[in-house]
Amino acid sequence: MIILTTKSKNKKSKLFSSDSLATISLLISFIVMAIFFTSQSEFFFTSTNFANLARTLAVVGISSIGMTLVLITAGVDLSVGSVAALSGVLASMFWLELNIPLPISSLLALLTGALVGLINGLIITVLKINPLITTLASFSIIRGLAFVISDGQTNMLNNQGFYFIGRGNILGIPFSLLVMIVLYFIFFIILRYTSFGRNLFAIGASPEMSRLAGINVDKHLLISYTVTAFLAAFAGLIIASQLGSSAPRAATGLEFTVITAVVLGGTSLAGGKGTLIGTLIGVIILRVLNNGLVLMEVSSFYQEVARGVVLLLALSFDQIRSGFLHLRRERT
Amino acid sequence: MKNRFLIVVLVALMAVTVGFAQTYRIGFANLSEDIAFTQLVREGMQRKAAEMGNIELILADNKLDGAIALSNTENFITQGVDGIIHFQTDQAFGNVIMARARKAGIPVIAIDIPMPGAVFFGADNYFAGQLAGEALAAWVNANWDGSADAMLVLELPQSGPIPAARMQGMIEGFQANVNTALAEDSIIRLDSKNTQEESFRVVSDTLPSIPNAKKIVAITINDGTGQGVIAAAEAAGRRDQIIVVGQGADPTGLAAIATEDSRYLGSTGYFPENYGDKLLEAMVDMLEGKAVPPSIYVDHVFISKDNICDFYADDFQDFCKK
Repeated sequence: MIILTTKSKNKKSKLFSSDSLATISLLISFIVMAIFFTSQSEFFFTSTNFANLARTLAVVGISSIGMTLVLITAGVDLSVGSVAALSGVLASMFWLELNIPLPISSLLALLTGALVGLINGLIITVLKINPLITTLASFSIIRGLAFVISDGQTNMLNNQGFYFIGRGNILGIPFSLLVMIVLYFIFFIILRYTSFGRNLFAIGASPEMSRLAGINVDKHLLISYTVTAFLAAFAGLIIASQLGSSAPRAATGLEFTVITAVVLGGTSLAGGKGTLIGTLIGVIILRVLNNGLVLMEVSSFYQEVARGVVLLLALSFDQIRSGFLHLRRERT
Repeated sequence: MKNRFLIVVLVALMAVTVGFAQTYRIGFANLSEDIAFTQLVREGMQRKAAEMGNIELILADNKLDGAIALSNTENFITQGVDGIIHFQTDQAFGNVIMARARKAGIPVIAIDIPMPGAVFFGADNYFAGQLAGEALAAWVNANWDGSADAMLVLELPQSGPIPAARMQGMIEGFQANVNTALAEDSIIRLDSKNTQEESFRVVSDTLPSIPNAKKIVAITINDGTGQGVIAAAEAAGRRDQIIVVGQGADPTGLAAIATEDSRYLGSTGYFPENYGDKLLEAMVDMLEGKAVPPSIYVDHVFISKDNICDFYADDFQDFCKK
């Protein structure tokens, strides 16, 4: 009986845990937003529009997985947009200039992306340079390299096989969306059920305590930054595939969209807190917000304002909720 | 003997004239070295300077930033240039830049964005737009029985009146020449932010709002945004419902035009590779005190499948052989 009571208390406390409440509040926000846009545009709640949303979710969605990992460790990666651009540029240059088959060119581009992440990780862990500074520098270096390699030019990528990454469907579902769902599932398992995932939270909460507890912090950070850059490189290939071309200017501002989505999803910038389900909902909310505003024919200038306001509201709400929970805990 | 002497004197005089021909130091600050179009402008300037032989070209990059353009102006003055050719985007800095140049007694030519007191060189934006609009109307008349269901206008509102003139020219060129003009509410204006990605995104979001439109025309601020429109239509499975024209005829646009079964009808050419010829000739005329018109316009031509080989046969040999 005692055990049962404890279990039910545990269930109750899990249901009202900080993360669960954040996810529920996000879902409510999403539903309210969807109802609002449905009432404002007859084209919002249509299968055609949902198909469009599904096709265009993966770039931010996939990049956000990596960003969630590094934010949980109390780090940040500002180079994801630049890595995405470099990846598309490299794939096209390997293919067009060196005549390497496109699948191998794409693979090489992905590996180069991962290498950038590894270098970021090494600088952060070995040289002990702040992740913000490190990735701000690589943000600039990698974007510059993309321009140097491509000579500032946009290259056409006319290849039906390559188009499949960003435009193809399997059983009517966009391939890029399927990949994104699989990746979310894999990383959800990793974060929740593996020691590696749990260690990331511990590192984010306190790297020193984690070291004392025997966690190899540097190894975890190296892996996180490498994975983040690898996923950003994959997002870059999706962009190139969707546009049918690669440009060194591609994915400009992606890092800020991704950080917005992840923070909106409840991941703390201070580290130690976050969920991939929250990130996914954050990604969907941002995408739906953009889509809804375009369908309502709102001026692009006001769209920028709206995006900023939503982020601010989400952060304020998160602060209020955290304060409320903290107060309740103190009273208890 | 006398004749031979005269020839020697003449040859000597010519040699002296060539040897002492005035050499000019000309500062050229490019809009940005990150853009294909402006790279071609810079390359054209370098080619022309080499051809003329008496031009020392000093290069700078304005990086799409007014403050950097001002700093480049000051550097040019310090370097003792005779004339400045500015390709800078920020109208607000025009007055300050010109005040510095006037004080130093240096003539200026402004490319595309006018500056007070500078000779203007650039696109005849409205006319360039009109050419594309007319070509689009002719295509609709020939292939869609003279009517379209909707028009997507991929514009760049933040850059003010100059790109707006281009868009206005395209819309009016189309409306005046198509058999059945579009109703105002069928013209959908979208902010392309001048990029292919943003154009892809906003068109992807807009297409679901016009499910019944089977004949969609799109006019775009440049070639990149045009390719974004086509990619969005392809992704939505509506490729055959759209036809696109653009502006610039840069390498990306030309490659799209020269593709079999392309939905990119064409693009108004600005021929950035030839800017250098007119710019340097005008600058030398100014420095030699000759009369130069206050505005010098680019010669525009609408480039399509029909005439691309007249201009770019070397670049598209396979296409032009057919």
